[in-house]
Amino acid sequence: MKSFTFKKRLFLVLLTASLWGCSGSEDKTTEPTDVQETNRKAMLTNLADNIIIPSYANFKTRLDAMVSKSDAFVAKPEAAQLTEFRQAWSDAYTEWQKVEIFEFGPGETYVIRNYFNIYPANVTGITSDIADASPNLEVPASYDRQGFPALDYLINGVGADDDAILKYYSGTDGAKRLAHVKRLTERMSSLLDRVTTDWNGSARETFVSKTGLDISSSTSLMVNAIVLHYERYIRSGKFGIPSGAMLNGVPAPEKVEAFYKKDLSLTLAKTAQQAYVDFFNGKGVKTGNEGLSLKSYLDGLGAKDSATGKTLSEIINAQFEASKKKLDALRPNLYQEVKTNNQAMKDTYTEMQKSVRMLKVDMTSAMSITITYTDNDGD
Amino acid sequence: MIRLLQRPVSAAPLAVFRIAFGVMLFLSMVRFWSKGWIYELYIKPKYFFPFYGFEFVKPLGENTYFLFALCTISALLVAFGLFYKFASTCLFLSFTYIELIDKSTYLNHYYFVSVVCFLLIFLPAHVYFSVDSYRSKEILADKIPAWCIISLQLLVGILYFYAGLAKLNSDWLLNALPLKIWLPARNDMPLIGFLFDYKWIPFAFSWFGCLYDLTIPFLLTYRKTRPFAFLAVVIFHGLTAVLFPIGMFPYIMIVAALIFFPWDFHLQIIKSVSALFHLRGTFISPGKTYCFSAFRHSVLLVFFSIILLIQMILPFRYLLYPGELFWTEEGYRFSWRVMLMEKAGYTQFQVRDNSGKSLIINNNLFLTTLQEKMMSTQPDMILQYAHILRDHYARQGFVNPKIYVDSYVALNGRLGKPLVSPDVNLAEQKESFQHKLWITPLEDEIKGL
Repeated sequence: MKSFTFKKRLFLVLLTASLWGCSGSEDKTTEPTDVQETNRKAMLTNLADNIIIPSYANFKTRLDAMVSKSDAFVAKPEAAQLTEFRQAWSDAYTEWQKVEIFEFGPGETYVIRNYFNIYPANVTGITSDIADASPNLEVPASYDRQGFPALDYLINGVGADDDAILKYYSGTDGAKRLAHVKRLTERMSSLLDRVTTDWNGSARETFVSKTGLDISSSTSLMVNAIVLHYERYIRSGKFGIPSGAMLNGVPAPEKVEAFYKKDLSLTLAKTAQQAYVDFFNGKGVKTGNEGLSLKSYLDGLGAKDSATGKTLSEIINAQFEASKKKLDALRPNLYQEVKTNNQAMKDTYTEMQKSVRMLKVDMTSAMSITITYTDNDGD
Repeated sequence: MIRLLQRPVSAAPLAVFRIAFGVMLFLSMVRFWSKGWIYELYIKPKYFFPFYGFEFVKPLGENTYFLFALCTISALLVAFGLFYKFASTCLFLSFTYIELIDKSTYLNHYYFVSVVCFLLIFLPAHVYFSVDSYRSKEILADKIPAWCIISLQLLVGILYFYAGLAKLNSDWLLNALPLKIWLPARNDMPLIGFLFDYKWIPFAFSWFGCLYDLTIPFLLTYRKTRPFAFLAVVIFHGLTAVLFPIGMFPYIMIVAALIFFPWDFHLQIIKSVSALFHLRGTFISPGKTYCFSAFRHSVLLVFFSIILLIQMILPFRYLLYPGELFWTEEGYRFSWRVMLMEKAGYTQFQVRDNSGKSLIINNNLFLTTLQEKMMSTQPDMILQYAHILRDHYARQGFVNPKIYVDSYVALNGRLGKPLVSPDVNLAEQKESFQHKLWITPLEDEIKGL
């Protein structure tokens, strides 16, 4: 290539100058809009510091309380201790619903959900684990033999009434069974410790500093995880599968969450739903005030329905509200609801399905995030 | 006109193009292989989406590695100009076969590569500065007919110009979509990231991108603007390489743009390479003209004209279909429509039969994540998948299974809505070039081309 002539140089200079000129003049008139809202580091920081870490701390308090009540029961398996253990179990299970959504970062590293809340409980498996001196609780086959559902069976389901349940824990077999209860609660405690230790350590820094939107970034991993959570663990797990809406229309009431306790199932679902909405809106666990979140991020991007002018976050929140209405219409015992009022269960599923689509398609598309998790519908 | 096309010109630009293109393809193949994509895209999937009319192209299982090996070696041989006729044919066939296996992997730049490879089979790209011409003085020549270079310039020109035409629509120009969605996703980039928080930036990028595509072939052709145009090519494609996950495409286009440079520029490159290898002067300037036989020459001219004409007509076939092109995607492929849509979808299939059997399908039992993602937004793939399901469940004991889909698709920031009518039994629908009546209309107009 020959060197540029003077004319060409002049042309280049003018071209560059005019480009700068254009951008310069616009620069003055237009401020960057909503920079704070579209700052992913700020969003991730708020979510980690004001929701995720304090939620785990709250759950840890509840779980520790449950473990100590469990220990008291193991030491003295009598009616009073059983009642207290059950109450602590209910409280911890409810609190768990608020952290189950965090299956990213350390939660995902230790796949804590798989060890805490896979239901229905596998009674045959639990029985054989009790007989085993050291059952392997680290493999996928053991998921439904531990965690809250297994404890549900062990404190609510091993006998027709309290007397029968207490009798189950007496004698030589009883000692083995008590030992297994202790084994299960200790395992939960140590798993949670690993997760919270990580979050309180380097995991937080990693979380807030991987600010991209590629597959390995925090926002992408988090969005993928929470969309999956809503689709598979709230919509399908709590409603779609027990109601039979997802499979051939055959209801399976025994697949409700907290099957043995029964009247806790709606509370668990409502808590999970509310925690989800609060996370979406960035509501601080301690303050109750909304901070930077997926909602503010979507608002910052200007995501809205061009037809109606409504923002996408409003539309998603309205849909959450519609699901909440369906939940409010249910009675506390979802097992009974499937048996006697299943249409209401199916309606709840249908309403939640609308949220799933918005989260999975509209939200991720507006954020330019690719859904990478593999779908598991119909399983 | 014909004489202008047939006049002898330096063979250097075509030789440089052959080498650069061969090397880029070789690197693309090595990159593809090293990322494990051969397994991921062509061996792991249980089902594939062949193109309509090319259903005879079957996946090769483990033998896909041989196909890729053939393609990789061919690319290298083409670069060297060794066994050129055979190698260029192999390159075209192997590369095109790979691309035809599965629609899910369709990319415009793969199509571009296929077309270029096809042209290269007939072009005398090996007569100058190649191993073939080094070994055989018979074919060595430093002059070739002008149309051999002009045809490649036209192809590259068409690609850009049509990519520009496709941007002349209201989503791109008036709403800066999809860049308004994609650019803020990169606002954490060093140095330039902060720019993407400005609302006007996606508009500036959209308009510049459109103007660039429409004018760059001309600016590259015109001597005085060429250096700036090439600078723009490098900046533009460099930027797209940094911003978007589009692999080798930017680099291939930067290299392809060199075809617009004059012969002395290419000769300079060849001379500096020759100096490295101490090649003889007679090899560089043999003073011979490559001649086609008169008959062959006219046939090739007509043939190339037809191919280029097809390139110019094919992108407009969408006009034959009703409905919004971005939504139905009828006539969307093979039209140089690049990066125009942010489209995401969700599909839930149901299989039923008259005996009352019914099942919601878990797509992952059949498709990979990529296939599911692609299928969810493209009606022809939804239909293909419905037929896969129909055939599968017919074998599973469903009697005349009916397939229904609950779909939800969002296009360029519009709120999602069903893409396919949920009441239509897709098992009964047939693929054809006819408009698919079961596509739900977008009920919004994207104005423009």
